[in-house]
Amino acid sequence: MPDPIHQFEIKRLIPLDLFGLDATFTNSALFMLLAAVLVSGFLILSMQGRSLVPTRLQSLAEMLYEFVANMVRDTMGHGHDDHGHGHGHDQGYMKFFPLVFTIFIFILTLNMLGMIPGFFTSTSHLAVTAGLALLVFVTVLIVGFAKNGFGFLKLFVPSGVPIYVLPLVVAIEIISFLSRPISHSVRLFANMLAGHITLKVFAGFIIMLLGAGGAYGILSILPLTMATALTALEFLVAFLQAYVFAMLTCMYLNDALHPGH
Amino acid sequence: MPKSTDGQDTGGGQLSPQERAQFERRVSELNAKLEKRRAERGAEAADDAGAAMRGRGMAYGMRMASELVGAVLVGAAIGYGLDWVLGTKPWLLLVFFVLGFAAGVLNVMRGYERLQADIKRETGGNIGHSVPDDDD
Repeated sequence: MPDPIHQFEIKRLIPLDLFGLDATFTNSALFMLLAAVLVSGFLILSMQGRSLVPTRLQSLAEMLYEFVANMVRDTMGHGHDDHGHGHGHDQGYMKFFPLVFTIFIFILTLNMLGMIPGFFTSTSHLAVTAGLALLVFVTVLIVGFAKNGFGFLKLFVPSGVPIYVLPLVVAIEIISFLSRPISHSVRLFANMLAGHITLKVFAGFIIMLLGAGGAYGILSILPLTMATALTALEFLVAFLQAYVFAMLTCMYLNDALHPGH
Repeated sequence: MPKSTDGQDTGGGQLSPQERAQFERRVSELNAKLEKRRAERGAEAADDAGAAMRGRGMAYGMRMASELVGAVLVGAAIGYGLDWVLGTKPWLLLVFFVLGFAAGVLNVMRGYERLQADIKRETGGNIGHSVPDDDD
């Protein structure tokens, strides 16, 4: 049976040493670069015409924009409609649109590239997803303290808690806050890893059954059905996980802007 | 030729009662076909929506699980670190393990509240209103 873990192996393509740090260009880096080039190329190319009546490519780019803009608006725009700020408040959170859009489309492209047979899935490595999650975490910290000063610490002190359980609650809130980058990164990584391993295992069953010959060959139709269904599911997961990652980014940034809940 | 007296002057084209009956039968046949096609299409759309909902449900479940596990891990790590610094093995590990679990439950509860709010917002805008309700 082919090794289902083999597909995640990091290969060193161009050894590189940056001031004593190992900055080797790997196959993982290659696919991240490919994703960045694909996304940038697509967006630059599709917005060349900038016509009022969009071409097919342009309307695709516009749909992507609308999709992410709606997500940002839904997650970050709510909660202060009732403050009466109106549209002037838009700039407050739409400032983070470029970050959320970049994260979403980068992860989506990496996930989708991973669905092409023989391609490498960078998001199936914890190092990559943890890097992205930490980027969000640090951004939240910086934005939180820059916007609210020490008022950001209100995030850890829920209102209406009696003083004698407050230390306990604050400890729990801090742990809850610190657990964010972990669940944020592990979720994406675990989904991609598990999905690709399952696919590989079922594909392996087909080959094993065919190799066994005779009546076993007929049985191989079962894992084949399963692998086909799983492929469809994996496409769904690839999209959903990119969406969930971006949506959580919005939620965390929203906490940084409005720590008082 | 006597003029049609049933009020439907179709510009000279006269319909005998048989022709009218045949015409009405064809209309009702077509209606039945259309109904069937509509029902099929509706079922397809419902299937698609069902699959999307299942996908969302799965993503949601995975999210809740990782929130819970993540918080327990962070709690345990903090306890272990403090134990290591203060030399109080294994007490703080035990305490923070429990605190981590509490934080995990808190995460799950918050996630659930958020889900409820999302569902309320989505259905509140679409069900019961034929026009999407833009409140801003």
